[in-house]
Amino acid sequence: MSLAIGLASLIFVLSLWLIFSEKLNRSITATAGAVLMVVLGKLLGFYTEAQALAAVDFNTIGLLLGMMLLVALLEPSGVFQYLAVWAGRVSRGRPAWLLIMLGSITAALSMFLNNVTTAVLVAPVTILICEILGISAVPYLVAEAVLSNIGGVATLVGDPPNILVASASGITFNDFLTRALPVVVVVWISSLLLLRFLFRRQLSVRPANPDALLRLNPAETITDRATAWRVLLVLGVAIMLFFAHHIIQVSPAFISIGAAAAALVWVRPNFDDTVQRVDWGVLIFFTALFVMVGGLEAAGVLAAIVRLIEGVGAIPAVMFGVLLIWVAAGLSAVIDNVPITIALIPVILGLGADGMQVGPLWWALVFGAGFGGNGTIIGSSANIVIANLSKKTHTPITAELWNRSGLPVMLVSCALTSVLYVLLFPLLTH
Amino acid sequence: MQVKDCMKGNVVSVPSSATIASAAGIILRNRVGVLPVLDEHGKPVGILQLSDLLSLALPDFLNLVADVDFVHDFGAVETSRPLPEVLARRVTELMQPTITVEGDSGLLRAYALMIQHNVLDVPVVNAREELVGIASRVDIGTAILSSWSPEAKKP
Repeated sequence: MSLAIGLASLIFVLSLWLIFSEKLNRSITATAGAVLMVVLGKLLGFYTEAQALAAVDFNTIGLLLGMMLLVALLEPSGVFQYLAVWAGRVSRGRPAWLLIMLGSITAALSMFLNNVTTAVLVAPVTILICEILGISAVPYLVAEAVLSNIGGVATLVGDPPNILVASASGITFNDFLTRALPVVVVVWISSLLLLRFLFRRQLSVRPANPDALLRLNPAETITDRATAWRVLLVLGVAIMLFFAHHIIQVSPAFISIGAAAAALVWVRPNFDDTVQRVDWGVLIFFTALFVMVGGLEAAGVLAAIVRLIEGVGAIPAVMFGVLLIWVAAGLSAVIDNVPITIALIPVILGLGADGMQVGPLWWALVFGAGFGGNGTIIGSSANIVIANLSKKTHTPITAELWNRSGLPVMLVSCALTSVLYVLLFPLLTH
Repeated sequence: MQVKDCMKGNVVSVPSSATIASAAGIILRNRVGVLPVLDEHGKPVGILQLSDLLSLALPDFLNLVADVDFVHDFGAVETSRPLPEVLARRVTELMQPTITVEGDSGLLRAYALMIQHNVLDVPVVNAREELVGIASRVDIGTAILSSWSPEAKKP
């Protein structure tokens, strides 16, 4: 059995290393790793094809696919440009207000939509606004990446780790609103204030001609009004159903796929164009990771980690949760938070099966995996995408700049979250 | 008819050692849209277009936002200038690679090459690959058209 543990761990660690070092595309790496894991499992007799299939969490895949389809329909309608231009007008060109408005719009959108999509759709308009104002876009772009990661923590559908945790633990959409959302609001406000302070020099430059910004008309940015209304209405109904999903006894995945189907029938877009905007790489990556981590579990790797943790001795439950926040945050600052979450979930389940009170640990994982992504320029997909976008401008975001802005935000977020975690521990235990 | 019969012979060019600022000055004084860039032997090594120069002043958002029709006032971008250090760079950093045609090549061959390489102007060279002229799509195209009229001499 120890041979299985060793080789299965080797496949997983090697795959993580390839993904981390960007030597190979993450979807290709994960697919190859998943196949190797099944081959190893069949040779050593610890993992079957049926087990591999059962390891895939179709709740997560379905929820992601449905939301991706909705966004794919919404994206070309111009709604995101509308919101960004509106935010710019409200700020009337005052840099601090522009930071607060654009950051908050991004956070609010990414509570319900994919963080990367939100950041990618708001960022181009941000660059536009900054260029016509004649100011550097860097503070605003960093704020958008950071706030999209923070906003994503607030709801069950906000970020893949939340979906994964909810699917494994049975935590509902409303649990997120009562446990995660308050923490996110605190982190959201404190991060904006911190960014306002860190970028105080850039934000003190008053744009010479805010009139150009005021001459932008948000209404003109909507390219397809009918589609925009239809998809927004469907999305609104879906969000209301999310509130009640545990009462009407349907999974969030079903609501998401159902909403996508309704919107597709109502809008009847060119389907080839729509499916092209779905991020299939992410879905393949997730599926393959599930198969790989299923292999780790079947080989006994995760049980060994559970024994290791229990062997460390009796750490108070509160401290153990705080520790998990920082471990998850540290890991997700350097590696994608999805493999971390998928690997830590069976460990937490194992601890629970051995009698540990794991309710609060789920929240520690959600907070750590979510806020940790702000630690480095490669910590989350949103950071990577925004940094790549900024390379196409005259003022690219560098890793060094990120370490002076995103990293402090991550450290302060996790510190605040730890304090709140200790204070709210009785509530999280429920 | 050959390319050398319809090309412009007195072509304005720029040496590859020139700066972007000086090339911009030459384009401005001569009101041309394109400058062949020549090495020390007078051979074309690239081509600098007016649009290459203007790309230095265009806003970044142009490549990021699908339709900029809703931006009625470009604000600060409208009056922006490339930085002095950008203008001090060599033309070789901004020029595009170019094709050339020989003065004695046929008109349709020259025109076909321009279509395939998606260029609007082509430097014309002699047997020693030295620049002798430049021909635009209009120069070559109208020369081709001139053979269509009934009065045109049969070859």
